[in-house]
Amino acid sequence: MKMKKILALLLACSMAAMTVAGCGSSQSAETEAAETEAAAAEAQEEAEEGEAAEETIAAVPEGEGYNHEAIANAGDITLTMMVSGVAQGNDFETEQLPELVKAKWPNVTLEVTKLPDDNYYTSLKTKLASGECPDIILTQPMYAGSNSCYALAEAGYLAPLNDCDFLVNLANPAAVTYDGNVVTATRSVSILGTYYNKDMFKEVGIESVPATWAEFLDDCKKLKEAGHQPIVMGDKDQYVLQFGLYQIAANEIYSQNPDYDMQLRSGETHFTDEGTWDKVLTMYKQLYDEGYIDASQSLGYGASQSIQDFIDGKAAMTFDGSFNATALNAEGAGGAFERGYFPIPSESGDQYTATCLAAGYSIYSGSKYIDECKELIDYWYNGDNEIWDAQLATGRIIPVYGSGMDSIPNIELYQPFIDLMNEGKAFHWCNQAWPAGTESTMEELFSEMIGGQGTTVEDITQGMQDKFEDLLDE
Amino acid sequence: MKPKKTKNGGNTSLVFRNRMYVFLIPALAFFLVLWIYPVLQLFYYSITNFNGINYDFDFVGLKNYQKIFENGTLVNSIRNTLLYACVTVVLSNLIGLAVAIALNTKIRMKGFFRTASYFPALFSAIVVGFIWSYVYMPTSGMIANLVTLFGGNGAAFNPLGNYRIALFAIAIVEVWKGFGSTMIIYLAGLQTVDESVLEAGRIDGCNEWQLTKFVKLPMIASTITINIILSVINGLKAFDYAFIMTNGGPGKSTKTLMFQIYEIAFTDQKMGRASAFSVVSFFVIIAITIVMLIIMNKREVEL
Repeated sequence: MKMKKILALLLACSMAAMTVAGCGSSQSAETEAAETEAAAAEAQEEAEEGEAAEETIAAVPEGEGYNHEAIANAGDITLTMMVSGVAQGNDFETEQLPELVKAKWPNVTLEVTKLPDDNYYTSLKTKLASGECPDIILTQPMYAGSNSCYALAEAGYLAPLNDCDFLVNLANPAAVTYDGNVVTATRSVSILGTYYNKDMFKEVGIESVPATWAEFLDDCKKLKEAGHQPIVMGDKDQYVLQFGLYQIAANEIYSQNPDYDMQLRSGETHFTDEGTWDKVLTMYKQLYDEGYIDASQSLGYGASQSIQDFIDGKAAMTFDGSFNATALNAEGAGGAFERGYFPIPSESGDQYTATCLAAGYSIYSGSKYIDECKELIDYWYNGDNEIWDAQLATGRIIPVYGSGMDSIPNIELYQPFIDLMNEGKAFHWCNQAWPAGTESTMEELFSEMIGGQGTTVEDITQGMQDKFEDLLDE
Repeated sequence: MKPKKTKNGGNTSLVFRNRMYVFLIPALAFFLVLWIYPVLQLFYYSITNFNGINYDFDFVGLKNYQKIFENGTLVNSIRNTLLYACVTVVLSNLIGLAVAIALNTKIRMKGFFRTASYFPALFSAIVVGFIWSYVYMPTSGMIANLVTLFGGNGAAFNPLGNYRIALFAIAIVEVWKGFGSTMIIYLAGLQTVDESVLEAGRIDGCNEWQLTKFVKLPMIASTITINIILSVINGLKAFDYAFIMTNGGPGKSTKTLMFQIYEIAFTDQKMGRASAFSVVSFFVIIAITIVMLIIMNKREVEL
């Protein structure tokens, strides 16, 4: 009997231990399974960015700087490339691209590996550490993700692309420029903005999109008085808080100090600085205080549920990204209505946007074929060839220049943002410049505030600062 | 009967010779490499600043432990986890036991009802969590619609968005999905109760309630222990619904131990600190389990 008890005790202990030890492995399965939910979050994390960097951009293309005949003189070569994502049928990177490259240069064989995000990160780190990195790799702007171009460039893994021709087309490569060197070839964007129901706006007599924050609040008021929910958000998925906050931050913080985030790292600025995040958070909170976003409801709504409400015509606006455009333009129970997309206006009326450069391709600094890769990327990115067209046809990118722009789905929605970007009035998404985890503290504390937990704006900025320092502290 | 021993202590059993132990080696090796070794490594990583990728890490002493204690995340997540565990243990056992007793009687369509109550257990937690987030949705969710139908204010029904009840709301989902398994074990226990004992009870004049209380329950005491311990462990490792339905929110109100560890490890990329958190959780969970087991065993004897 005693033996039995001891056995039972041991068994119980071991099971308890398993719950802890198991969390490494079992959670990866859980994570995987929950990917549907996380997918949207990731889209936003993958986020990419806009600009800001402190260095002056030495990206004056020299055009002739590298050997433009490299491929022709190279003989038969094999270039390797590694990207993240899940391969689709007739996948662009793994199937079409190698064929198109072969058609253009019969002596070049391009081998492309595509790995799911987590595998990609691990694989990349291992290959970099062993010096066997593929020639071309997918990198994210600034500090976004484990394959962020800043972190990789800092470690010396990325070849400078300053002499590439495609740079003449790129208005502002700051987010992919480290220490004066452009290190990632990118030419597409992701946008955060405000989707709105044009019919509902007309119904309450709003003629044009608001040009200032005061006008924006006024429009919300009109909508609310007419019995409409002005804005619907799915705050149960806390990451959606970023969609509105980053737009306001672009207007109120980065327009004043484009280097704000970089200075956070050096300690020159702090989240607690007056007139920065306190202002942004207060402005956004106003929408909840006035009931323009209904916190009692939004905190129980998921991101997909709020999209559903918007397309069902139950709310006039929602803050969301270009990555969700298809879902937001679908027809819901509200029937067909015209949709528009505008950036949240600033207090001063001087408009900026949270439109950021998307992930792009970098060349490994240890590659034997740096010039060949540059030549390949330059051809691909010249804006008018079969590779470009094939990539555009995937419908997954919004380029800022080049042919075929008109055929991009929803381009009329994006155009104002792209224009702002080309005028240099676009900024990165804040979390791209922060160590991962800072934004979740912001989201948590903001939810607490609108959920009536007594959290104040000062608590949030202090919490963000503490977390930021904690995450940078190795 | 004990196997006979030879003079030098060797085993002479014809059925289980010593060399049979060789066959344990593959399983043991597996167990050691994939289970014991990682668990021990947890202790090692908990004093480093390992970020999960870079193996060039430093030892930071007890800093990780210090951090988790000082910023309150540990206390918050332990509190949430215990609350969650209490709700799921109590409800799933009460409901499981009640349903098992009901389905152990001679009623019509018994098979159907048994299947029906076990049915939710067949779905994966992800699916259940996803469906329930629609059930709980304000305004147009299933419950909100019912509330509206009966004249209430469906729009105000928002359990997942409410700081005070979000944790209970997800615990109820766990109960809904889990009580079927508990019920099956109780049912199995109840069927071991000898009919002659019940017969004797009836002859002595027991009514059904007395039979349950004084005969059936004491006779399935060990089943109760198993069920409670299983659901305690299950409750303490709560993760799925916090992850799928609320993502730890609103605020931090549904962050359980496992969720917090996951977040520190995979969002903040602080494997070292997550390991420290795991080590602490490990001891907390072991302590709770041991106490539970001791209490239950005592109780079992008393019954």
